[in-house]
Amino acid sequence: MLVIGGGATGAGVAWDAALRGFDVILIDRADLAEGTSGRFHGLLHSGGRYVVKDALAAEECVAENAILRRVIPDCIEDTGGLFVTTPDDDPAYGDRFLEGCRAAELPVEEIGVAEALRREPRLNSRIQRAFAVPDASIDAWKTVWSFARGASEHGARILPYHSAIALHREGHAVTGARVRNELTGEELDIEAGFTINAAGAWAAQIATMAGIEGVGVVPGKGIMIAMNHRLVNTVINRCTMPADGDILVPIRTVSVIGTTDIRSADPDELPVTQAEVDQMLDDGERLVPGFREARALRVWAGARPLFQDEKAEQVADTRDISRTHAVVDHRERDGVDGLLTMSGGKLTTLRLMAEDIVDAMCKQLGTERACQTRDVRPPGNEDGEGYSLGSRLRRREQTLQDEQLICECELIGRSRLEQAMRRRGSANLDDIRRSMRLGMGPCQGGFCIYRATGILHGVGRLDGAEAADSLSGFLQERWKGVWPILYGDQLRQARLDDWIFQGLLDVEHLPEAEEVA
Amino acid sequence: MSHHDVIVVGTGLAGLTAAVRLAEGGARVLVLAKGVGATHLGAGTVDVLGYAPERVERPAEALAALIDERPEHPYALVGAGGVTAAVDWFKARIAAGPLGPYQYVGGVDENLLLPTAVGVARPSAVVPETMAGGDLRAEAAICVVGFRALKDFHPTLAADTLGRQGVSARGLELDLAPEGRADANALAFARAFDDPAFRAEVSGQLLRRLGVEERAAFPAMLGHADPHRVWSELEERLGRPVFEVPTLPPSVPGMRVHASLRGELRRNGGRVILNTVVTGAEQSSGRVTELRTRVGLREERRGADWVVLATGGIASGGIELDSRWRARETALDLPVAGVPEAGEERFRPGYFDDHPMGRAGVAVDAELRPVDARGERLYENVLVAGASLAGAEPWREKSGDGLSLSTGYRAAELVLGASEPAGSAAGVAEG
Repeated sequence: MLVIGGGATGAGVAWDAALRGFDVILIDRADLAEGTSGRFHGLLHSGGRYVVKDALAAEECVAENAILRRVIPDCIEDTGGLFVTTPDDDPAYGDRFLEGCRAAELPVEEIGVAEALRREPRLNSRIQRAFAVPDASIDAWKTVWSFARGASEHGARILPYHSAIALHREGHAVTGARVRNELTGEELDIEAGFTINAAGAWAAQIATMAGIEGVGVVPGKGIMIAMNHRLVNTVINRCTMPADGDILVPIRTVSVIGTTDIRSADPDELPVTQAEVDQMLDDGERLVPGFREARALRVWAGARPLFQDEKAEQVADTRDISRTHAVVDHRERDGVDGLLTMSGGKLTTLRLMAEDIVDAMCKQLGTERACQTRDVRPPGNEDGEGYSLGSRLRRREQTLQDEQLICECELIGRSRLEQAMRRRGSANLDDIRRSMRLGMGPCQGGFCIYRATGILHGVGRLDGAEAADSLSGFLQERWKGVWPILYGDQLRQARLDDWIFQGLLDVEHLPEAEEVA
Repeated sequence: MSHHDVIVVGTGLAGLTAAVRLAEGGARVLVLAKGVGATHLGAGTVDVLGYAPERVERPAEALAALIDERPEHPYALVGAGGVTAAVDWFKARIAAGPLGPYQYVGGVDENLLLPTAVGVARPSAVVPETMAGGDLRAEAAICVVGFRALKDFHPTLAADTLGRQGVSARGLELDLAPEGRADANALAFARAFDDPAFRAEVSGQLLRRLGVEERAAFPAMLGHADPHRVWSELEERLGRPVFEVPTLPPSVPGMRVHASLRGELRRNGGRVILNTVVTGAEQSSGRVTELRTRVGLREERRGADWVVLATGGIASGGIELDSRWRARETALDLPVAGVPEAGEERFRPGYFDDHPMGRAGVAVDAELRPVDARGERLYENVLVAGASLAGAEPWREKSGDGLSLSTGYRAAELVLGASEPAGSAAGVAEG
């Protein structure tokens, strides 16, 4: 079977299907988790956000939150979460919230305002109510990599930087895809007995390749801003109907405020506007006074795959369709065999989404193979204790004298970096950034990116021209995420980085590849 | 409360230049600064003008053209002649300073082309003697020498880039490090190079590995206490030209500039107090009479007849922009010019685009006095120098050091000229 899309959904599907004994190939047009999965806030929902608005989604989150804590503990930090009633929120919503939590069997406890402020001293002291729930933060990159590695240990082939350029059809059935290797330009055909379209916000584009029009996945733009500090150590939600800018998630060394929801025509065109940045900062101010004086590190936008498909809803048994995600069965919808599309969904329910769609595939194939992902741990979760903010520092302290520290912000040593370069088989600095957090700290690569480029070149992964391209490319990619939030200390940092890259190294005048004789 | 003839705020190149020049001109000078200044970040060269926007070969000529075309550029405040005078003064001061005979070579007539740590040919006018051998206008092949324990310098990467520009170059890496450490920065290496035994080991290992015609490039860390000796001894032992290439911060050559000028200041009776933040000023009839300062939690006041503000630009904290896009000069709350209006674009999406915010800074009149939006002088006895000034893009133009040096020097000349009878000031200036 072929899985198109290497985000949380696709990686989950590959892991699920590989465990059930399917022969899996997963392709992604770019790196794993480079799309929506890598551009979210990092919240592992307790379900609290949905208890009033969408009971089914809440129940799913409650169950999946517990399962993920069991199977991928090392990808999760057990921060806990608070729902707080700010002065701008209706205190009565808290009662509906409590009711909803009970209905969804979500463990919740109302705590006093003083206790909430003791736990989170930066929180707005004018909050009126506070509820503790089992929210957590989850490292999306680590999660996706963990499932992808697990799948490949069970025989799956994971092919990042491979784009689907056409889906093959024989009669009524999709039989595979023509794929282009984006790094070499080479094209190849993949034959598949079944194809799962896990392209998220890009799913409609993929379905079109099989001649299927109108698959209702609408990209919903959400912007998020990472703040340089853990302004809070607990996930903070506003206790109100879900809206914009009402979640603050502490993850790794940062905290992320999110998000907006704007329908957008093209998931590849998600410009961040000044008004959106200002809205997030004002929303942050409501939760944590002084938010605007804190240091913003980076801003990005992700494309949610919003499900909106009247045609599929008409033909499918609605009892099988969760309002949060939906398996689009193209046999029923379009008379096309061998193709299913995953629509909608959220990272917290990635495992369930994979289970549902692989179940649907088994049904269509007329085979019964039980899902195993509720209990099996994918690799990378050997510690089994969840990570804590200090875990990297603890590991680092053991080798303090023996090893070079390449990225001071994220505490990445040289040997781990070289290992990752070998294991990833990638020489792209941005890929390494995602898998190791290299350059994600306060200096945004100001110091480590030159070093990493030199090391990649030194170990022979890049020739001089490629190293130059990689360095310039990284600087542009980084700039994309910082220029809309350049003020305060981060502007100062950016100017220091200019000093290094423009003044000292003069990256602007690196000879271009074409100039080489 | 203390009182000085002049308080200089900032210990970067602009502040120290102004302070030394004032002190040797006979003024009682106090330098207040938060930290050691931006010399520790830069290359340690005096880049006068490298791009305008094409690569500049002859900075003196290009300066004249730049001033003609862009009268708002801070170089217009000093003129090409002012830059030359400042450069000559700087070279003399460094050579006579505590690190002498370590000296700077070159001048404003032509730029050298020095390799950066990624191997780009960077135009620079006045450079330490220890870097001049890297001039890429000369043809000799280059062996770039790195050290495994120094993560801030990657010799084969630099050599490859040089090769792509037609320079015959290769890189090699030595496994020597101070005290055998796995991770040592340029300053730790510079201190190791001050030790003759370390130098002997380095040259012993290198001699076997260098080609006959190759010049040898090292990361810029050949000595902290006595760079002239370290460099000349390496040239002698290796029997070939040896030169330094700037590394990531901390900048050892920048520290040498700082140490040299601090030494010269001390010798001329000036003082530096670090960890001091200037938070405002008392004023009366258009003059600043006292500076309000903060040292830790302690508030202090210091009086002065003159203030030279050389706190630097955004990178140094001299200018700040808040999340509502209000810009301020942090010491005296001077107005900041060149900041786009609310709702207008401040930065553009391409990293190397021309960013509207890029040239923001304090606007001054022809005598370096800060002015308001209407061009009216704000204080009679405050002069602004260095990266705080509006109108330049120092890193892209490769002009930051030249601007700091020449405006710092000019500020001192203006103060000396205004506070002494003409004859007497000129007489002291000879000294």
